Amino acid sequence: MKRLVAIVEDEPAIRDNYAAAFMREGYAVRTYANRAQALSAFAARLPDLAVIDISLEDEPEGGFELCRQLRALSAELPIIFLTARDSELDAVSGLRLGADDFLTKDLSLAHLIARVNALLRRVDALRRPDTPGEIVRRGALTLDAERMQAQWDGQVVLLSLTEFWIVHALARHPGHVRNRQQLMDAANVVLDDNTITSHVKRIRRKFQSIDPKFDAVQTVYGMGYRWVE
Amino acid sequence: MSLRLKLLLLGLATLVLPWGGCQYAREMESALREGEENSLQAVSQTIAASLQGRTDLLYREAPPPANAPDAPADESSGHAFLQSGPYDLKPLALTAAPLLDGYSDDWPHDPSAWAYFAKDDRHRFGILTGVYERMLYVLLEVRDEHPLFDAPGTNPLDPGIFGDRVWLGFEDSQGEQRQVFLAATAPGAVTARGIETGEYGQQSAPLEPRIRGAWQPMSHGYRIELRVPLSMLGNGFGVLVDDRDARGAEPVSYGTLRSDDLHTLGRLIVAAPELTAYLAQFMQPGLKLAVTTPSGRVLARADALAQMRGLGSETPILARLYRRFVDRPGTRQLLESSAPVYDRDHKTVIGELEVTQTANRWIRLRDHALMRMLNFSLSTSAVAVTLMFAFAAWLALRLSRLRQASESALTRSGLITSFPETDARDELGDVARGFSTLLQRLNEYTSYLRTLAGKLAHEIRTPLTIVRSSLDNLESEQVPPSARAYLERARQGSERLNAILIAMGAATRVEEAIGGAERVSFDLAPVLESAVAAYRGAFPERAFRTELPTEPVVIRGAPDLIVQMLDKLIDNAVDFSPAAALISVRLRLDAQAALIEVDNPGPALAAHVQGRLFESLWQSRAGPDSRPHFGLGLYIVRLIAEFHGGEATAANLPDGSGVRFVVRLAR
Repeated sequence: MKRLVAIVEDEPAIRDNYAAAFMREGYAVRTYANRAQALSAFAARLPDLAVIDISLEDEPEGGFELCRQLRALSAELPIIFLTARDSELDAVSGLRLGADDFLTKDLSLAHLIARVNALLRRVDALRRPDTPGEIVRRGALTLDAERMQAQWDGQVVLLSLTEFWIVHALARHPGHVRNRQQLMDAANVVLDDNTITSHVKRIRRKFQSIDPKFDAVQTVYGMGYRWVE
Repeated sequence: MSLRLKLLLLGLATLVLPWGGCQYAREMESALREGEENSLQAVSQTIAASLQGRTDLLYREAPPPANAPDAPADESSGHAFLQSGPYDLKPLALTAAPLLDGYSDDWPHDPSAWAYFAKDDRHRFGILTGVYERMLYVLLEVRDEHPLFDAPGTNPLDPGIFGDRVWLGFEDSQGEQRQVFLAATAPGAVTARGIETGEYGQQSAPLEPRIRGAWQPMSHGYRIELRVPLSMLGNGFGVLVDDRDARGAEPVSYGTLRSDDLHTLGRLIVAAPELTAYLAQFMQPGLKLAVTTPSGRVLARADALAQMRGLGSETPILARLYRRFVDRPGTRQLLESSAPVYDRDHKTVIGELEVTQTANRWIRLRDHALMRMLNFSLSTSAVAVTLMFAFAAWLALRLSRLRQASESALTRSGLITSFPETDARDELGDVARGFSTLLQRLNEYTSYLRTLAGKLAHEIRTPLTIVRSSLDNLESEQVPPSARAYLERARQGSERLNAILIAMGAATRVEEAIGGAERVSFDLAPVLESAVAAYRGAFPERAFRTELPTEPVVIRGAPDLIVQMLDKLIDNAVDFSPAAALISVRLRLDAQAALIEVDNPGPALAAHVQGRLFESLWQSRAGPDSRPHFGLGLYIVRLIAEFHGGEATAANLPDGSGVRFVVRLAR
């Protein structure tokens, strides 16, 4: 059975282009132009994954509202925000609302599809807890690449997909400096330096909320970051 | 001319007040003086009127009884005392009692007051009389080639011992003729003697102790000074000199007494002592009263002028200073007035009353008023000037604050800093609020302009996404190879457009990153060290040199941002330097700041460029360059420098070989 991807996007040309790309990849696609349409459809049937634009027609923050409502319907449904906005604030609020990823529209279709695949893979892996995936252990850190889940001292650290890949890229080779470009490649995103910096900052904060003494991600000025055990 | 000076001058205009006051004081003085003269005239007339007909006071002549039958006949011819006979004596009104020592030096020097009587060339005497209080003083200077004293120690009535003798004859208060004589046996004190005939005809010469004096020889004669109580004297008075050339010889007698019976020939025209007391009751300080005969001889006076002067000399310095401005030169210091004293019938002038008043009286009055007025108006002026000056200073301060605020409100880079709020309700406050509103609008516009790039990027992003996703989809379609090239070009174009959009949003994102950055204390040197190490790898075709201080350079800030700033500086240095150029990164310290200097060889900056280098969306690139440039790099440098409480500047190297960028970071 084909996976169902819901695309909520008010710009018809983009919506149709995205739909075409996903269908080519073998997904079933439903597209909605606004929140009301999407919500009524989701009430009838939940998609396997939702790609949501933040500003929807006459609602500049409609995507956030929709995300909240969708999260209420399902706690596990992967949600990707896709937006023309690229401000830090939007990303933070989107992720706080429970979105799994936050992507800007300058991402290429190939990248977008890779993201969607990865997210669905994570959902699948989480549904089969008995099958162990590729596990990376670095001291207190445990990374499950299959489930895309990170644990610190046995506690789950809720990382977004981008964040997980950044941690994964760093922790796989402790001590090696990863520059920003390498981290971007690993995360399958095109981001500028500042976004990487703020991602790293958020990663540190998430780990520190579990262990205030967390200091494993080190900045190497001018080069990048490295994992220190 | 500054506002302060102008208002000060305006304040000085209030000095018209004291000036006007001075003018007023002068006018007041004239009026006062006039009034004073009038009142003085009234006073003199009043006193003169009260003396009308008082011949008893003026001339010790009892007023004729009202019922005297012969009075009209006599009176019609006028008063006898007004027609002076040749033997009449007119005493001076003395201001002090002469010392009875036989010398004339304590008498007033008044040649016209002397009366002279002579028998012939060799026999001659001068007589000067004066009245002080209740005494008649007589000064007699007798010319005598052979002055002769009585023989001492014998009976004064023995004719054989007689030397020069002087007889005084007078009417007593009852009108009886009486005589006393003066005889001396030696120079010095002398007392008069009368001659009494006893019951049996024997004669004696008892001393008359009330008439005393002194006898002193002088060149060509002798001088006698003596005093007689006025109470002894009636109207007649005379002196007879018996000049002997040998003791006991027949004398040469001459004078103002009949030589046979020694009766008086002339009168003593003198005021009653009570007249002085009478005048004294009108006295007050600063006033002088005098009663004179119609011909001008002073009969009596009461003088309190000096009393006033004594008081007036203590005028304070300030008053004396003020007086300088007010006094007209040549103003009389004394007021004088006179009024005739008539006889009882108001027909004949029997005397003159002269009243003199010192000017001190009204000068003091004027001074008092003037002082108060000048003190008041000068202090008013001072207060006004001070207030105006303070007000001007305050106004100038506000204006200069406004000027400074308006000057500094808009920085060179177009950034608008806060403009001080004001609650002042006056026009200056309106101006300040006007400025504030203007700046606020300008600020809105500026921030609109500043966000324009970001907004534009956002708006362009959606159509660009359409283009790019369409191209992505097109990749998967069957495209003829001939169209592939176009597809590729379209893709390249859209990539470039995307890069431009990212760059345009970069400034906004940096501003956001700066806004959210956390400040930590860190050592700048290792950060620079490791960053430059990274640049060596990133730009192998350039050489890098670092100059770092040995001690740690700890600042508070965000190391990520510092590195980002350095990235931009190095990018800039690499772009503008030739291959294999040496780029120096230097960290220096001065008193308040850490300075990061990046030098690169290359073309010098044009003068007009230097101020604008760090502005957003401004660049002065010349020549083809594949990378899109938006002049954002140096703008980001500036934002980060400002975040660290510093600034970024650029200048040509002294030798002109290149450019130096300096970032100052507060420590």
